[in-house]
Amino acid sequence: MEILRIEGLAKIFGSGELEVRALEDINLSVSKGELVALLGPSGSGKTTMLLCISLILEPTSGKIDFDGQTIFQKNGWAGVDMRRLRREKVGFIFQSHNLIPFLTARQNVLLPLNLIGIKGEKAENRARELLEYMEIAHRADALPALLSGGEQQRVAIARALANNAKLVLADEPTASLDTARGTKVMEILKKIARENQTAVIVVTHDVRMVNGFDHVYHLKDGRLNSQET
Amino acid sequence: MDLAFQDLKRHKGRFIATIIGVGLLFTIVLAMNGLYRGNIADGTALIRSTNPDLWVVQRYRGGPFNEQSTLPEFYHYSVESVPGVEKASPFIYYTVERLVHRQSRHFSIVGYDVFGGLGGPKHIIAGRGIGQAHYEMVAHVKLGVQVGDRIPLGLHTYTVVGLTNDAVDGDGDPIVYLSLHDAQEVLYQPDNEEVRNERARLLQTLSGQSYLSPDQAKKLLGPLQPDTHIVNAILVQMKPGANRKEAAGMIEKWLYLNAYSTKDEVQLLLKGRLASISKQLLLFRVLLLLISVVIISLVVYTFTMEKIRSIAVMKLIGAPDWEIIRMVLEQSLLLTVSAFLIGQFIIHNTYSKFPRTVLLVPGDDLVTFIVALMGGVLASILGLWNALKTQPATALGE
Repeated sequence: MEILRIEGLAKIFGSGELEVRALEDINLSVSKGELVALLGPSGSGKTTMLLCISLILEPTSGKIDFDGQTIFQKNGWAGVDMRRLRREKVGFIFQSHNLIPFLTARQNVLLPLNLIGIKGEKAENRARELLEYMEIAHRADALPALLSGGEQQRVAIARALANNAKLVLADEPTASLDTARGTKVMEILKKIARENQTAVIVVTHDVRMVNGFDHVYHLKDGRLNSQET
Repeated sequence: MDLAFQDLKRHKGRFIATIIGVGLLFTIVLAMNGLYRGNIADGTALIRSTNPDLWVVQRYRGGPFNEQSTLPEFYHYSVESVPGVEKASPFIYYTVERLVHRQSRHFSIVGYDVFGGLGGPKHIIAGRGIGQAHYEMVAHVKLGVQVGDRIPLGLHTYTVVGLTNDAVDGDGDPIVYLSLHDAQEVLYQPDNEEVRNERARLLQTLSGQSYLSPDQAKKLLGPLQPDTHIVNAILVQMKPGANRKEAAGMIEKWLYLNAYSTKDEVQLLLKGRLASISKQLLLFRVLLLLISVVIISLVVYTFTMEKIRSIAVMKLIGAPDWEIIRMVLEQSLLLTVSAFLIGQFIIHNTYSKFPRTVLLVPGDDLVTFIVALMGGVLASILGLWNALKTQPATALGE
């Protein structure tokens, strides 16, 4: 089942002589349980594409369908509550983990649950399950500052999964980790895609990390110009 | 899960230091409230405590408290003859600085007709009232004397026969009650050397007049001595059912004096001597409240700016704006309320140690609290504005 479908997506910044075509004629389809990598050097448009897929940056043209609903078409955003869509259906994993520093690991996982209205014991149980799944339950009451980079990333992944996301977007999730920890994180993302049937899009510039992905796209000068499977 | 509380819990030290600092500022605000009230209460306490039907004073004067008023003592007979007047008593009031138990003390003296006249202390809390024409005094407890103590004032020594806690003077200093003639003596009676010098100077002046023989000049010395039978006001008690306004009008028209009700006397003080200090205190209150709000605003702004990336993450994962508004606003209100409670705790445990009267009124505390709360909300606007304009994209990238 198709979760994300992008057709002819373009993003242009500025106009006239200052015009920059950040994305051009992007076509992408991601299905349930699929693991997709977007590879590309700095300035290739990876972040712009991620922002468009995250429903944060409005594309200039094209069409985005998400979970059977048209989110963007040529007239602009389709009047959908983007933030609600993100909190209910999308999970985010960041390069620098981005855990809320004043919340413990457990509370960081509880936050998205609380945001979608799951509270009390039900939320506590779900948070514990996720931390156990990520093998970090023993550090549940630690503040992010007291966790190692790998531990923080595992908590961040648990947080991304808290809302039973249909799509997980990972922005350079291994960039701040050593190779061993990076590989471990990628294994976890594969596990999530396979076991939870979650669509996972990973933006990275590290080719070594994308072994075993269902699709690997190369982004160059704003164009998705090659595909490996 | 309360995000504001969790954040403050992780920054306990800074939170506590801030609320103590702002709490001390609120202490000063509340103390200023109390001083403002105390200033008015002290300034009008003697008027309210004495509370005659009319205060008769020198013409065109707003005395005896707001400005000086002097009248010959015998005028009270004329006032007593006005229709409707039951009783008219001479009254004298002045401020002195004298040694009491070897310490220099600033206090006020009230002289009144101790044999049934108006103007004496209403409540004696120890000992008794003045029972003889001379050398007895009733003192306010703030003077720090005991019944039986002997206090020298001027040429004589006075025995403390009673203590009162009725009223203090306009400066918050204690009041000492004396018989009218004792009070006049303490105020006007010079010592023997001064009398001798004055008599010699007067005799020399009179002797220089060619139309007076030396004997005539000596005979004139007595009558020409300064009169000490001077009072500051005459207190009037009306007959039951008598018209006070009519009596006041008659006193003003026929005796060429001014007559004020107790309410008028209070207004004279509030609009006169107490007005500028009250305005000053009001200005201080407003300034200190503003400073408190600015400090809270800066603290909330700093707290918010430190969380900008977290706020961006929250927005990215879909937190609605109201969740972020709640977090910033709650922090601001937690700071304000905690600081206010600390301020209240401190002032309610220290107000009695202030040298001037600090009169704490629950209504003032409530108004200050509401203003502080509104200030807390205002203070969070800068932080909120920054929080709400934060782009979720800030969370992406390094």
